[in-house]
Amino acid sequence: MAWLVVRLAISVSLFYTASAVFEDQVGKFDWRQQFIGKVRFALFDTHSQASKKLLVATDKNVFASLNSRTGDLFWRHVDKTGPEGHIDALLMYGQDAVVVAGNGRLLRSWETTVGGLKWETVLDTGSFQAAALVGVQDFVKYVAVLKKSAISLHDLSSGSQIWVENLPDSDTVQYQTIYSGGNGLVFVFGVVPNSHIVIVEYKIEDGEIMNKKSVEAAWMSSLESSCTVISSGILLCVDQITQSLYTLLLQSAEQTEMRQIHLQTLDLEVASGFQPVLTSTQPNPAQPPLSEFFLQLSPDHHILLQLKDGLIVPLRDFNPSYLAAFATSGERTVAAVMSPKNDTACSINLFSADTGRRHLDTTIIYHMDPNGGKPNRLYVHAFLKKDDSVGYRVMVQTEDLTLTFLQQPGRVVWMREEALADVVTMEMIDLPFTGTQAELEGEFGKKAAIQDGLLPMVLKRLSSQFILLQAWLAHLWKLFYDARKPRSSVKNEVNIDTLSRDEFNLQKMMVMVTASGKLFGIDSKSGTILWKQYLENIEPNSVFKLIVQRTTAHFPHPPQCTLLIKNKDTGLGNLYVFNPIFGKKSQISVPALPRPVLQTLLLPVIDQDYAKVLLLIDDQYKVTTFPSTKNILQQLQDTASSIFFYLVDSSQGKLSGFRLRKDLSTELIWEVVIPTEVQKIVAVKGKRANEHVHSQGRVMGDRSVLYKYLNPNLLAVITESTDTHHERSFVGIFLIDGVTGRIVHEAVQRKAKGPVHFVHSENWVVYVYWNSKFRRNEFSVLELFEGAELYNSTVFSSLDRPHPPQVLQQSYIFPAPISTLEATLTEKGITSRHLLVGLPSGNILSLPKMFLDPRRPEVVSEQSREENLIPYAPEMPIRDEWFINYNQTVSRVRGIHTAPSGLESTCLVVAYGLDIYQTRVFPSKQFDVLKDDYDYVLISSVLFGLFFATMISKRLAEVKLLNRAWR
Amino acid sequence: MTAPGGGALATRGGATVRRMKWSLELSLGNSRSRGDRQSKDGDVMYPVGYSDKPVPDTSVQEADRNLVEKRCWDVALGPLKQIPMNLFIMYMSGNTISIFPIMMVCMMAWRPIQALMSMSATFKLLESSSQQWLQGLVYLIGNLLGSALAVYKCQSMGLLPTHSSDWLAFIEPPQRLEIMGGGMVM
Repeated sequence: MAWLVVRLAISVSLFYTASAVFEDQVGKFDWRQQFIGKVRFALFDTHSQASKKLLVATDKNVFASLNSRTGDLFWRHVDKTGPEGHIDALLMYGQDAVVVAGNGRLLRSWETTVGGLKWETVLDTGSFQAAALVGVQDFVKYVAVLKKSAISLHDLSSGSQIWVENLPDSDTVQYQTIYSGGNGLVFVFGVVPNSHIVIVEYKIEDGEIMNKKSVEAAWMSSLESSCTVISSGILLCVDQITQSLYTLLLQSAEQTEMRQIHLQTLDLEVASGFQPVLTSTQPNPAQPPLSEFFLQLSPDHHILLQLKDGLIVPLRDFNPSYLAAFATSGERTVAAVMSPKNDTACSINLFSADTGRRHLDTTIIYHMDPNGGKPNRLYVHAFLKKDDSVGYRVMVQTEDLTLTFLQQPGRVVWMREEALADVVTMEMIDLPFTGTQAELEGEFGKKAAIQDGLLPMVLKRLSSQFILLQAWLAHLWKLFYDARKPRSSVKNEVNIDTLSRDEFNLQKMMVMVTASGKLFGIDSKSGTILWKQYLENIEPNSVFKLIVQRTTAHFPHPPQCTLLIKNKDTGLGNLYVFNPIFGKKSQISVPALPRPVLQTLLLPVIDQDYAKVLLLIDDQYKVTTFPSTKNILQQLQDTASSIFFYLVDSSQGKLSGFRLRKDLSTELIWEVVIPTEVQKIVAVKGKRANEHVHSQGRVMGDRSVLYKYLNPNLLAVITESTDTHHERSFVGIFLIDGVTGRIVHEAVQRKAKGPVHFVHSENWVVYVYWNSKFRRNEFSVLELFEGAELYNSTVFSSLDRPHPPQVLQQSYIFPAPISTLEATLTEKGITSRHLLVGLPSGNILSLPKMFLDPRRPEVVSEQSREENLIPYAPEMPIRDEWFINYNQTVSRVRGIHTAPSGLESTCLVVAYGLDIYQTRVFPSKQFDVLKDDYDYVLISSVLFGLFFATMISKRLAEVKLLNRAWR
Repeated sequence: MTAPGGGALATRGGATVRRMKWSLELSLGNSRSRGDRQSKDGDVMYPVGYSDKPVPDTSVQEADRNLVEKRCWDVALGPLKQIPMNLFIMYMSGNTISIFPIMMVCMMAWRPIQALMSMSATFKLLESSSQQWLQGLVYLIGNLLGSALAVYKCQSMGLLPTHSSDWLAFIEPPQRLEIMGGGMVM
């Protein structure tokens, strides 16, 4: 019976919180963009002429097929993250794509049209070295996989293993590459560094070793990229130190050492310090490679060479040239070479591979993005035109991970910004007012206006009114003009000039910082990239912190964002200041940071230009201010005694608090040591600075108030035990006051393991951990209350808090693993809160905070019913209609960013991971907006009807009265 | 006291009017007409304020006075007499907040307030009574009790902001004195 009551109560509460989108709302205010990451392998489907497929494998362990006409995804397979899903090789033959994944653990064959898995084979252990397609008599039948100590041959149609052989002397010889020229043999090349090369010949049928020879090569350290096989079995190597090319006939018994050809004899020289690269091409795996090859002598110097009758002949020298690639269509092989044209453009030309002659009218002009990086990969798709000439398209990948697909004569077919697959941090910035609004704002906003006097003020007013009128007329004209055009051609194109804040501030600028160092400004309504900026020379493991110093609210001053980039290796940081709306670098002088920056602090103190002051604390605990004007320093001197820092050093298990001194040095005021032998600090979170709490307490069933403990200086510190044994591991949570260092509360979750995800907001902390005893995920919620009375209702000072708060805690079972956790945020904090849970399945669950309430009673009482508390149930429900992204799953969701909008009911949500998904959520439904299907026509017709009825009846009544008076 | 005389005048005038709408007398024999009218009532001209009907004896009898007293007490005790009825309605309507109990409460609260506002009119009514002040006091107390009852009803319905929770929305968030920030060592 009691259970029935509980279920009834839950279902009633669900009735109020259910918040799924309707079918006709799909795509109305949400969008998703799918990404793949940095391309490592790209192959064009040359199987048929009309094919539009482009197969790519990326460093994000994604294997996908792109539509080469539009750049959209046909299909995408996202493998496990990390080395387990790492794609080692991608080979394609006909309709099949063979992928070696997980450091040679798995061999998979995919059907390329729909992306279905044809077969999968688990390979023997051993680190992967190389894979190659093996053909016999013009027909590709096998795939060979070379591991560190073994080679195996698999059937291409079924994946079954034909044979596996151990490699001889694999403990001393490093086997690195594999080659098969379609003559029934597989060659495996190994090297003993600075000693000799080992070549083993296997018979395809049974894996018998036909021949094994070692060749003296004292100069050789690695085979990869410095060696290649050309022209019916000739091993070609290049060495930078001896400035020579070496050739070796693979199938000759008499040649026991490599033939040296000095580059000087060809009038060539390798640039000092550059490892020369050889590139050859084998158009058909069942045929020997061509005898032409590229030799890269310096980063911008390629040369096309040909081996003819044992002699190496230069065919064409490309100096300067950035990139070169071979492509084959039918029987014809071409070489595409990218050379610089001028400062902003490159030209790509097509050359015949066997002669080096330039094909006429094949130039593609590639315009380099001034805010982008240099091109670093070139993929060429060659095809035969109707007149039997060779046409081609190219895909260029740049340092900033932009994929550009071009066709003649330089038209950009599509572009993908793959840097967005790795968003590190983001902010949402309000858009500025329109020019006219800004004009009005400016009229009254400028300080100078006060000194202007009366007449100039009047003139200014008149001029701004005139501008308003003009804008209105222009708007009317546009409406009229658009109305005449067919509806389909009228498109709300977003560009940076028409960008302006909408009525409810629902459209914002998403400033995204990616790991590759590229910044993006994306319109949150449509997902259009409005600006991008590539920051060069960013180390791959840099740490970013994005700070909004000035919002758009201070009109004549542009908004200002500051990005702190810290190099992990050197510890040194630098600041990049930019305008988040236009993406332009700001001209403001940035302080030099000679010492490693430990942390930053954004003060609510503003300077005369309305920019918030950023404090940067360095490793000597000295503080640098930005901006650092006299005014600021003066203000800081006044407020220094109330500015506190905390620093958490996870490696030493130390939390320390500092107070700012007047001379911008700091003094240590507290220190908490959490011994690293037992547990280690994994995360620390304070509260969000832009969070508002509307209600200071909670109303109890007896109508008294339980006041919330709203300490803005509270930190939640999560620790994990160093002992990972499932019986002894634990997760700890400390609530520490960041000003005084006082431990407000501590809790330990025994038999629990990380990774811990948590949210710290208002007066509560919600965290998720893995319960290793019951093998399930659990949510735990901590809420802090002051009690029935407020200690001090006007000011909050951490230094004057005599009473510890009451702490309530409850835990629940969550039936799914989670990837990330965030809470919704609204303008005034009146709307109820929801937790946004990113699941590994790609769904984002909007979980009402109501379910995570430590006051949920086990026994229902009159009072708890009065309070609308749901009776405690250990299981947390997951409802399908709580998924805010319905079927638009976000792969590998890493973070969720929430931002308030101008409407109290609405919170903007951006989930990012491999994909980016933007939507709006309404935790308490849209209580401040009329519904979409609101019947304006009915309501207004009724209103007007009543109005006219009143008028008419009034008139009639008057007439009647008059008549009666005459009678 | 003037009413009977006025009435007489009106009937007299009315009688004149009824005879003829208007008349024009060309002869100077004014006295004739007057004489004609006066001859009907007599030959003497009446002085101003003279009524030919006998004036009734207006001196208040002892019995009437008692009647007035009683009537005045009725007025004064009216609000008090309503209280049991109100109590009954209160009991019947319950403490749930819905349209009918709210209407009841509004009526209950509005009536005494209205009565208190028109206190002076009531006092005028009680003017004739000898115990005017006592009656006024009783009337006041009755109305106050009525409004107290309404307030009690509001209280039991939870409509009065008497709990701290009713003022919760007006509490401003406290101002923070310290600025704090930082985090993990980057």
